[in-house]
Amino acid sequence: MIKVSDLKKDFPIFDREINGKRLTYLDSGATSQKPNSVINEMTNVYTNMNANVHRGTYVLSSETTAKYEEVRDKLKNFINAYSSDEIIFAKGCTEGFNFLANSICKDLNAGDEIILSEIEHHANIIPWQMAAAKYNLKINYVNVSESFELDFDHLESLLNKNTKVVSIVGESNISGMLPDIKKINSLVKDKTDAVYIVDGAQLVPHRKIDVQDLGIDFLCVSGHKMLGPTGIGVVWGRKELLENLDPVYGGGDMIEEVFYDTATWAPIPHKFEAGTPPYVEAIGLGAAVDYLSNLDMNNVQKHSDDLREYAKNKLGNIDGLNIIHTNSKLAGCTFAMSLDGIHAADVSLMLDTFGVAVRAGHHCVQPFHRKLNLDSTFRATGYIYNDEEDFDILYNALEESIKLLT
Amino acid sequence: MSIQEKVEEYKQTLALFPNPQEKYQYLIEQAKKSEDFPTELRIDEFKVNGCQSQVWLVPEEKDNKLYFKSDSDALIAKGLVTLISSIYSDEAPKDIVNSEIDLMEEFELGVILSPARRNGAFSMLKTIKEFSQKLAN
Repeated sequence: MIKVSDLKKDFPIFDREINGKRLTYLDSGATSQKPNSVINEMTNVYTNMNANVHRGTYVLSSETTAKYEEVRDKLKNFINAYSSDEIIFAKGCTEGFNFLANSICKDLNAGDEIILSEIEHHANIIPWQMAAAKYNLKINYVNVSESFELDFDHLESLLNKNTKVVSIVGESNISGMLPDIKKINSLVKDKTDAVYIVDGAQLVPHRKIDVQDLGIDFLCVSGHKMLGPTGIGVVWGRKELLENLDPVYGGGDMIEEVFYDTATWAPIPHKFEAGTPPYVEAIGLGAAVDYLSNLDMNNVQKHSDDLREYAKNKLGNIDGLNIIHTNSKLAGCTFAMSLDGIHAADVSLMLDTFGVAVRAGHHCVQPFHRKLNLDSTFRATGYIYNDEEDFDILYNALEESIKLLT
Repeated sequence: MSIQEKVEEYKQTLALFPNPQEKYQYLIEQAKKSEDFPTELRIDEFKVNGCQSQVWLVPEEKDNKLYFKSDSDALIAKGLVTLISSIYSDEAPKDIVNSEIDLMEEFELGVILSPARRNGAFSMLKTIKEFSQKLAN
């Protein structure tokens, strides 16, 4: 069980007041707040042991290197990867998708197909569009139904022998949709020899993930959405797949031997990590993983489910509020909303005056907003430090904002 | 009234509202009071980029002076662009170009007037200056 009032004490940001009100932070879908353990760990590295990782033959560098590499083990355990070598550090999911799209698509043939869904984040669209244009590939989008669920019949109809990549969000940053990953995986594996990539930006912070049990091929993880610092994330991939992929970035640290006319690559994971890595951020992410592991991801997941249920019922009582949220039994605690005749930007500015932080815009999911005929929505997302009171405050602030804006 | 005098007047009015919510309410009133904007002018040519909502700014030149019509699909942004349009309307292009008033600093409008280069208010001012620069040349 997560006791939010105790847990909040670990997050110094909640000591702040906004416009004279307590901070009601409901924008963790964009980025999460950071516990003291993450902040202190990063300060500790800079204060006591800072030195560039790998090949430093002195105490500081060997300590930093050990701490940095240890984070791979923490992440391996966190998502139950087969090996720590499968944990590739990247700046975040966006860089992860750019790496995967560039590396995978270069070996595909013109006419090969990529399957995405209609509700993907731009990070899981644009890199594929760029690669598709370069290598003459075709992108198909799986329909998302009126109840904001993935249309499995449509997915099945799109899968064929030309399908080489299926990349679909694990938890939607708009509707909270949690598509059945195992079901997608078995459809993909039965009908194609494609790789199946899961966008874990929202999924991994909120739910217990076991990549071996899911049977997937790649997973992109964002560090800053799971209590970690910005600028660090992970691409997890099956060892045999990663070994066959070429690096996209060249430079220091990713090589075995360099000659004037050629070079050979270091083994995984380092062949994908050119240049000085963001090792302090990675160590910060390690502290975040420790924090979540201590809470137990089963508790984190239950907290998300309970809060989602409460928020869904509470927000459902507001007249004129359209909620883009799946009715499925399980979904993420994410609510994109619109109000008839009131602009989302006005709502979010007004909510801010009540100390309520939500985001307005298309949340990097513009094509799906266009499909719904919406320019923008405002979005509230809950995380481990949010409780029912936060959604009560949002509810009251929304009622007041509607009065002020009509 | 000069640009400086108009800014001063708005500054004094806005200072009457100590908290952001009241300031927003004042902007909403300005939006509601603003003159009707012809729907046919809601076109890409007049759209200001960089705003969270859609904002349109239409310049008109009359007797060597510039006048701005404006609109937005959001109320608070519309109030802000109405206020900015009135400051720079009925002014000579060269006076607009030469005016170096930092509205962001003067108005203390919190998050909607933060001095970020990708911020909507920054784009509104940039658009006005660009129109003026073209005519001043």
